[in-house]
Amino acid sequence: MEQAIYTPYDYLPIIVQFLAAAGFVAFAMGVTHLIGPKRHSKVKDEAWECGIPTVGNARTPISYKYFMTAILFVIFDIEIIFMYPWAVNFKVLGTEGFLQMITFMGLLMAGFVYVIKKGILKWE
Amino acid sequence: MTSIILLSVFGIINLFLGFLKSNKILLPAVIIFLAIVFGVNFLDWNNPQSHFNNMLTIDNFAVAFSAVMVLSLALILPFSRSYINSGNPHLAEFYSILMFSLVGAIMMVSYENIIMLFLGIEILSIAMYVMAGSHKKELRSNEAALKYLLMGSFATGILLFGFALIYGASGSFNIAEIASFSSNTTATDLLPMMEIGVLLVLVGICFKIGAAPFHFWTPDVYEGTPTLFTTYMSTVVKTAGIAAFYKLVWAVFPGLNEFWYPTLVAITVLTLVIGNIGAAIQTSFKRMMAYSSIAHAGYLLIALTSFNDYSENAVLFYALSYTVATVAAFGVLKLVSDQREGETYEMFNGLGRTNPLLAFAMTVAMCSLASIPLTGGFFAKFFIFGSAIEAGAVWLVVVAILMSAVSIYYYFRVVMAMYMKEPVGEKVAVDGFAAFMLIFLSIFTFIMGIFPGWFNNWL
Amino acid sequence: MLTALLLFWPALAGLLVLLMKGEAAKKTAFGAAVIEFLIAVYAAVSFEPNAATQFEINQPWIQNAGISFHIGMDGISLLLVLLTAFLVPLIILSSFKHTYNNAGTFYALILFMQMGMIGSFVALDAFVFYFFWEVALIPIYFICGIWGGERRVPVTFKFFIYTIFGSLFMLVGFVYLYFQTPGTHTSDISAFYNLALSPENQSWVFWFIFLAFAIKMPVFPFHTWQPDTYTEAPTPGTMLLSGIMLKMGIYGVIRWLLPVVPAGVAQWADVVLVLAIIGIIYGAIIAIRQNDLKRLTAFSSISHVGLIAAGLFTLNMQGLQGAMIQMLSHGINVVGMFFLIDIIFRRTGTREIKALGGITQYAKFFTIAFMILLLGTVALPLTNGFVGEFLLLSGVFQYNYIMGAVAGLTIILGSVYLFRMFQRVMFGEANTTTAKFTDLTASELAVLIPLIILVFWIGLHPNTFLNISEPAVQNLLSIIKR
Repeated sequence: MEQAIYTPYDYLPIIVQFLAAAGFVAFAMGVTHLIGPKRHSKVKDEAWECGIPTVGNARTPISYKYFMTAILFVIFDIEIIFMYPWAVNFKVLGTEGFLQMITFMGLLMAGFVYVIKKGILKWE
Repeated sequence: MTSIILLSVFGIINLFLGFLKSNKILLPAVIIFLAIVFGVNFLDWNNPQSHFNNMLTIDNFAVAFSAVMVLSLALILPFSRSYINSGNPHLAEFYSILMFSLVGAIMMVSYENIIMLFLGIEILSIAMYVMAGSHKKELRSNEAALKYLLMGSFATGILLFGFALIYGASGSFNIAEIASFSSNTTATDLLPMMEIGVLLVLVGICFKIGAAPFHFWTPDVYEGTPTLFTTYMSTVVKTAGIAAFYKLVWAVFPGLNEFWYPTLVAITVLTLVIGNIGAAIQTSFKRMMAYSSIAHAGYLLIALTSFNDYSENAVLFYALSYTVATVAAFGVLKLVSDQREGETYEMFNGLGRTNPLLAFAMTVAMCSLASIPLTGGFFAKFFIFGSAIEAGAVWLVVVAILMSAVSIYYYFRVVMAMYMKEPVGEKVAVDGFAAFMLIFLSIFTFIMGIFPGWFNNWL
Repeated sequence: MLTALLLFWPALAGLLVLLMKGEAAKKTAFGAAVIEFLIAVYAAVSFEPNAATQFEINQPWIQNAGISFHIGMDGISLLLVLLTAFLVPLIILSSFKHTYNNAGTFYALILFMQMGMIGSFVALDAFVFYFFWEVALIPIYFICGIWGGERRVPVTFKFFIYTIFGSLFMLVGFVYLYFQTPGTHTSDISAFYNLALSPENQSWVFWFIFLAFAIKMPVFPFHTWQPDTYTEAPTPGTMLLSGIMLKMGIYGVIRWLLPVVPAGVAQWADVVLVLAIIGIIYGAIIAIRQNDLKRLTAFSSISHVGLIAAGLFTLNMQGLQGAMIQMLSHGINVVGMFFLIDIIFRRTGTREIKALGGITQYAKFFTIAFMILLLGTVALPLTNGFVGEFLLLSGVFQYNYIMGAVAGLTIILGSVYLFRMFQRVMFGEANTTTAKFTDLTASELAVLIPLIILVFWIGLHPNTFLNISEPAVQNLLSIIKR
């Protein structure tokens, strides 16, 4: 195997990418801060608003339902990512790709049905 | 290959069977599933093939070890009667997780690419973290799960770092390419990187199979884990780990054996000594079995250090006989400890009088583990020692022999408790299926001990 | 076929006995053992008195490893098989007065053990030998551990670990030799005899193999398990251990050590002889100080076996033939002695010499039987012990005068402790424990009479037995000296 030789110059795109990412974050935060409407109140100015008091014991037990929902969200969210490359290459992959995706979705649906039947998503 | 797919599908089906009103159907269903997988597995016998762009190779080595592991699970499950009777709501999940973990185990014995080895180890390990903590309300089980998770993740990190370094040095994950790289090390200045990678992988795998000096998690985890899953850990997980290790050192790093061989020999000796001495000073039977599983990892490592025509078959035979004996021992332990408090030796006092069958099965299992003739364990050690002596490592065998003598001490403590002490409790109730399995395991042990020729020339 | 029948008949009978209870088990076991004896006698009658191995069976066992199920008998094996088949029914008969819990298991274990012992006497393949060697150990472990005396558990444990420890080293030795055989390896005895190892290798292989035999016999300083085990084991167990099992160690030396590593034997023979002679003197001196009858007999057994071991390593005709005949005599005498001790214990409830005395006044036949077996043990001419000890001592003399002289002390010391014991137990004033000591019953006579007949048979006409083993021993010596 032939070894490619890299010069520091070849790493420039990485720096550009990094700068672009950091720049976008700074830009988005700055712009929303400037152009967004602002309403001040005691509740609105709290650091975190979700119905849980912000000051108190940090070790209060939190209902496991939150975790369940969060974990399931992550799982199903990530599974969706697999559909992007498939969708981009839909024509190239053809029928076989379609069948594979059906299998994949079938398994995903089976998991979903299982989750519902187990009652994980029941809130009460 | 088919066996991996079937196991996954059956696992999912089994999850849905769990929604049925009665959980009585689960055990027979899983046994039938496993029987199908066991049979289908042999379709690939003498028909080596590779899958997924050379990620997996199903050869006779993989088929034989898969068969042993599928068989182990099928032998373990009949002892889960207490879960069925108590109406455990997670029974279907337990069975399914075990079947999924078996997929990981099969990947570990058939990998052609070290990424697949890593995936296999993780599939197996994560399932085991869950099973270790499956008794949610028991403190010891929680402790075991957390310990296992932390230690296991740590080991995984080391292992993965090793893989990364090996990849960095050799430029490939494929074991054939790594092997060709490692057998031609003079042509590269990346050798130190490769060596550190190999060393880290050795450490990581030794963690996983519980070889000394990376064994510290084993006794605590084995003791805290519910007995049924301890059985699985000390049979299937160990078999898969050793088989993967075997393939790794001899298929992947053959060119470097001058480098890793002394390390592995040192690990072997340490494992033998610590496992056996540790087991001898235990008061809890279950903890003793944990140490004994370390000790048996040591005997299996002997075969790894002496690579020759005999060692492959020796490992397979040893794995099979060790599995059969361990399942019987843990099975009796489970039946007895479900009805008598504790896990000490005293719990077995007088079992020979109250439950002759249990006592007999336990005695056969202990004889096999202590390698007494007429049982499979004798020929298992015999083949291992044979391969080591053929490789010229007589001194290693002498160490192993001394340690075997120590092992007789702790294995026969329970035999003495059963036959030579006064009974401590009532007769232990045994369900028919478990009794049948114990008889089967004993007969199987004898068959392995009297006709070892049937089992030692598969590979 | 005959060998296989001899080998497996006790096992089959044992399985049957296992299912029985109480008296039925006893009687069935006895019947089976008598049938076994008749088969052995038939084998002895149809045996051609030459050096060849007869009644041979050679079946492949673990084919791809070159291990075959090879059994057969030459004169040496036949004598020991005869001894085993003769003693086991007597041992079973001697236990008729006792009632053991789970009698079925007890007698089945005795029969299983018989299979193991006969198997190791007829095995002609190293691994078959090792296999039966260990198979014989398991039943005696349970016999001692379950039905033994008060301190049975730790004592049995010590015995078991000690013996297994030795056997494992023997296994390593065998595996090493196995891998030295040419071609696709084989563990057949002929291949082992044809090995030409370097003397250095023979030197360490010798100790690996000898350790197992030395522990089994036992040779000083590997004897520490023996007195405790003999004392704590139930009497049938003691008889099996001392009468037959110990001969497995001696037989092992003859068959699997001397011809296999002759150069190793040549290097170490002096050391072993010195150990053996130390054992002779040591056992005898300790025996003088014993108060427990069973323990006394145990130490006297160490002393006697020391002489046999010494005879083996002289590597001459007298030594080996003496060892053969002395194995028979020792088996007969020691079983008889332990039986008589058991009778005393059953009648009086004690085995302490100090507590006994004056038995002669009440039991005439008992005294006669005791006297004859005692004289056999101290090697009085006309009894069996004389023939063996004479041959052994003359063998040792041929090897080395000084050693012979020291070994000769065994007869003097033997008569000291034995007659001292006899005098204290049998003569003197009777006391409350020994008063009304009833004489021998019919079933006890049935055990003792065959033993006494053999004491005189071997003493008066040893050639019946010597002729059986002579060609085989000669053949063996020619292999060793080659």
